Amino acid sequence: MIADAATGVALALRGEGDPYALSGILRQEDALTPAAVRVLGADALAPYAVEHRAVAVGADDEAVVRQALAAYPPGADASAVSAWTYRGLVEAAHAFLPGGAPPWPPPPEAGTGWVESDPWPKLAHRASQLAALALPPLAPGLAEQLAGRTDDLARGFVRAVRRRDWLQAAGLGRWLARLPEAPQTLGLDSGLAFVRQMGGTDPRVALHVAAARRFHGRGW
Amino acid sequence: MTAGHSDPGLLDRMVRSSLGWLEGARGQFRLPANVTTDADPNLTLKPLGELAELTQLIGVLHPREDIRHTARGLFAFAWNETRDGELFAELIRGEPFATYPVELYGVFAQAGLRHAEVDELVRTTTRLRGWRVAREDHTRTLGVLNAERRIGLRQHADFSAVLALTGLGGLPEPWALDRKAAYGVTHDVFHLTDWGRNRQRLSPELAQYLRLWLPSWLENWLEEQLWDLVGELLAVTACLPKAPHDPAAWQRLADAQAADGSVPEMGAAPSSDDPDELFTACYHSTLVTAFAATLARIAADEAEAGPSGGDPALVGGRTPCESESAP
Repeated sequence: MIADAATGVALALRGEGDPYALSGILRQEDALTPAAVRVLGADALAPYAVEHRAVAVGADDEAVVRQALAAYPPGADASAVSAWTYRGLVEAAHAFLPGGAPPWPPPPEAGTGWVESDPWPKLAHRASQLAALALPPLAPGLAEQLAGRTDDLARGFVRAVRRRDWLQAAGLGRWLARLPEAPQTLGLDSGLAFVRQMGGTDPRVALHVAAARRFHGRGW
Repeated sequence: MTAGHSDPGLLDRMVRSSLGWLEGARGQFRLPANVTTDADPNLTLKPLGELAELTQLIGVLHPREDIRHTARGLFAFAWNETRDGELFAELIRGEPFATYPVELYGVFAQAGLRHAEVDELVRTTTRLRGWRVAREDHTRTLGVLNAERRIGLRQHADFSAVLALTGLGGLPEPWALDRKAAYGVTHDVFHLTDWGRNRQRLSPELAQYLRLWLPSWLENWLEEQLWDLVGELLAVTACLPKAPHDPAAWQRLADAQAADGSVPEMGAAPSSDDPDELFTACYHSTLVTAFAATLARIAADEAEAGPSGGDPALVGGRTPCESESAP
């Protein structure tokens, strides 16, 4: 189900397939929908960030997102990844499903201490798990902090490709596409193309690569 | 790259322990009577050549006298095995157009150990047009060029032009490096810098490239426990200006070193009882460990002393303007 939804998002970002509607892919009445939306996070709404490609289906989309937010709030002891992915979904709802009633909750606080303190392999792993937050204009503060560790994220990309961890590589490639100064010798464009060729059968990999291309023009 | 303080004590223990094992393995390094005829050079000349290359460096550059003394003893042993260079005359007469006798002789020649007849032979063979043809790969050509420089011969090609064709000079995508290419990159650096003696030959562009990507490669091959490549990558790291130090990586290599000082080429220590098999499985990684720890120790001393406090024994030294972060 998550794979199908990710495929739907990736197709929409590539401008292929039927016009995207979240509530068309993940139906409100389906018991697994809240979990799927929570896992996709902000990416569930990513096609709405593309002009003219998708039109939010008002109340139905809103209901699907509200359901997910209500079902899986991060607990007090939630991991940074859990807190941030939740926040990403809230931020995306604000950005792409405006004017909801009642209003969307304010984005909850999520810590960023790890961005500075994590050794680079751990930082890279975490950042890749938060790749949906690379969706512009979400998480500007996080993006700015990660920009301070661009080289370390690029090292993570290299390590991930060499380990054939395509999902981690794609997530990091997507962040590097958003950040202003990915090292030139990394070869980000051919790197993303390589990851797509090697690991693109995983819909989540395809989604990240499609997002890097759609929103940042990288990976051609 | 992980910033960290080096532990000179650990580095010195690793060198001493490696040299101790190498001392005990003299018998395996000894050249057999058939070395110039039908012996496998990979089991005879190659190990002895590596022993000479790396113990010569340690014997001159290591800051600790006891370590230099042991290394010099091993280097003298290697020269003795070549019968004061007579071996090279025989090898060259047998295969006048092969590069390996010249490369091996270069190790001794740079230390002032010469053999008059070999000097005359190589002057003749290396000026042939046929000598200028490309070698198996560009990295090997760099090795030949470095040997020519050491012996004082005219270099048969432009070093920089050949370097530009190598896996390092081409600045390949760092994620596209496989194992063979990684060994190529480490040896490009070794030939370029004369095994760390002339680190300022590393251009700012190459230094920046290596500084960026060495941590990823190191992490990859630490995971694979390919200890000789880990050692080579740590040696390359120590060749960078203001060399970074990764204490965790050093500790992992130290943990791979057995109590007897040997370092397996890959994974855990081999369980064989056959001394020849053990030797083949360990001699290279053990030498590389001693070499890398020596370069890292020199880099640590320099970091301590500041940029002008480099070891004067390092030919050419290093100046601050050669750092890639300089304008």
